[in-house]
Amino acid sequence: MSNNQKETKNYPNKGKSLPVEKSIKDTVFNIFKKALEENIFDALLIPAKVPDTDAYSWILLQDESLFDIADPLPPVMTVQGGRALSSFSKNGELGLKIAALLRPCEARAVIELFKLHQVDLDNMTLITIDCPGAMPLADYMNDPKKIADSFKKISEKWEISESLRPACQNCHRFSLMDGTGPDLHIGLLGENNKVTLIANSPEGNDLLEKLGFESKDSLDKWKTEKEKLVKEKTKKRESFLKEWQEKTKNPDGFFNELNKCINCHNCMNACPICYCQQCYFDSQMINFKPEIYLKKSREKGALRFPLNTMLFHIGRMSHMVLSCVACGACEDACPVSIPVGRLFSMVGDKTQKQFDYVPGLNREDPLPLQIFKEDEFCEVETPNECEEKATEEVK
Amino acid sequence: MEKKFKPNIVGFLCNWCSYAGADLAGSSKTDVDSSLSVIRVMCSSRVNSNLVLSALLWGSDGVLVAGCHPGDCHYEKGNYYARRRFALLKKIAEVLNLEPDRIQLSWISASEGKRYAEVVNKFAEDISKLGPNPLTSNPKV
Ligand code: SF4
Ligand code: SF4
Ligand code: SF4
Ligand code: FES
Repeated sequence: MSNNQKETKNYPNKGKSLPVEKSIKDTVFNIFKKALEENIFDALLIPAKVPDTDAYSWILLQDESLFDIADPLPPVMTVQGGRALSSFSKNGELGLKIAALLRPCEARAVIELFKLHQVDLDNMTLITIDCPGAMPLADYMNDPKKIADSFKKISEKWEISESLRPACQNCHRFSLMDGTGPDLHIGLLGENNKVTLIANSPEGNDLLEKLGFESKDSLDKWKTEKEKLVKEKTKKRESFLKEWQEKTKNPDGFFNELNKCINCHNCMNACPICYCQQCYFDSQMINFKPEIYLKKSREKGALRFPLNTMLFHIGRMSHMVLSCVACGACEDACPVSIPVGRLFSMVGDKTQKQFDYVPGLNREDPLPLQIFKEDEFCEVETPNECEEKATEEVK
Repeated sequence: MEKKFKPNIVGFLCNWCSYAGADLAGSSKTDVDSSLSVIRVMCSSRVNSNLVLSALLWGSDGVLVAGCHPGDCHYEKGNYYARRRFALLKKIAEVLNLEPDRIQLSWISASEGKRYAEVVNKFAEDISKLGPNPLTSNPKV
C-alpha cells in the first residue's frame, strides 16, 4: 500500500465571529463589499439568480449593485463552481485578484483542477461556506417556488432531508476539513445569529487583516456542531455505500442502472473533473468498421445500441474517479435519472482509499497517477512478487 | 464430449522486454499456449485503461499486460506508472464485481523466454477455468 499523503495541516482554532443583523446573506455580503471597495480583490465569482427568471448562474461580480441578485447558497447547483471557475481561468494568469465563493465540493474540484493545470490559483482567493446541500435540479425546474421554499426550511434546520440531492444527503465533507483547502471558510453552524470567518491560509489571514478583523474568537461552538453533523452524515454515507455495494454485487446490478443511459454524455459535460477538450469517448477512436458490428451481432445474437455505453462509464471512471469529489453534478445533469453520481462516488470511495488520497483536500498532494513508488502494489503483479520480496527482506 | 473451451486472450507486450521475451520463447521452441493474441506496444505505460476495457467488452476473455521488470523499463519509469493505473483498473473491476481475475499484469524480461511461456500458459489455464467472458454475451453490455 502506498502513502502519499503529507502531514495534514489542521485548520486554525481561532476565527472571527460577526453578529448577524439583517440576514446571513447581508452579513456575508458586507464583508465582500468592503473587500471590493478596498481593492482587496477586484472581482467576486458568486452564484446569482437571473432577474425575472428562476435560473441561477455564476457571475463574476465587479459592480456592487449586483449583490441584489447574488446568493451565496442557492437552492440548486446549476453549474459546478469548479467548472465555472476553470472556464475563464485555464488559459493563463488572471492578472486581476479574484475571490470565489464556493460550496466545499466545488472548492475541492477547483483544487483537483489546479493539479490538472486548469485553473490559476495564484490570483485566486478560495472562499468556502458551510453547506446545507442543494435540491435536485429537475425537482426545482418542475416547481421552482415550492422547492426554493422547502430548501429554505431544510437549510435553516440543517436537516438531512430526503428531498436534498442524494449527493448532499450522503455528503460528509460539507464544511471545512483539516487540510490546505480554501483560503477562507465561512462557518454558519454553531452560534445562532453569528457568522464565523476562519482563515485557512496565509492569503486568508492577509484578507482578514486587511479587512481589519482579528482572528481571536473561539471556534469551539462551530466546531462542536460541525463535528456532530459530520458524524451524522458520515453514518448516512456509510449506509449509502453499503447499500450500493449490495446493489452492484453482481455485474448486472451496475448494468441495470446504466441501461437507461441515452449516451448524451451530459454527466461528463457537467463533471468539473472531466476537463478534456476532446473526450476519448466522443472520438472516432472507439468506432470500428461496420462488418465488425455485424460479426458481433451474429456472435451475440443481437447487438445493443447505443454502442459502448459501458465502455464510456467504466472508462470515464478509470480516467477520473480518483479525483471525484462526490459533488453529484453528473447525476443532476442526467436526463433519465441514472444514479451516476452515486455510482462514481461509491467507486471513488474505494479507489481513493486504495491510494490514500482525498481529492481536493490538500493542494500539495500529487495526483495518484502522476507519482509512484518503486516498491508498491506487488499484490497486482503476477506472479505475485509480494512473498518473494518478504523473504528477501528477512534475508 | 463437449468441445473444450479455448479462450480468446489479448496480450499487450512492451517492445523492449516482454515482446522480446515472447520472441525468445518462439525461437527456442518453447510451448506457448495459442490463445494469446499479441499486440506489441512501445511500453507497458502505453496501455491505458481504454484498451483493456475495449478488449474485455468487445470479446476477449482475458487481457494480459506485460512489461519490463521494475527498474528495467526502457523509458525508466513507464512500468511504475503502468502498475498504478493497472491497480486502479483492477480495483474498479473488483468494486463492480466484474471478474478482476480476467486482467493480469506481469513482468517478463527479454531473456525470460521460459518465464514468458509459463506466465502465458498459466494465465490461459486460469482463464479457461473461468470460462467465457460473460460480458461479451451479456445483452445489457
Ligand atoms: S455535495 Fe456536499 S458540499 Fe456539495 S452541495 Fe452537496 S452538501 Fe454541499
Ligand atoms: S463524477 Fe459526478 S460526483 Fe464525481 S466529480 Fe464528476 S460530477 Fe462530481
Ligand atoms: S447523463 Fe445520464 S443518460 Fe447521459 S450519458 Fe450520462 S448517464 Fe447516460
Ligand atoms: S519499455 Fe518495457 S515496460 Fe516500459
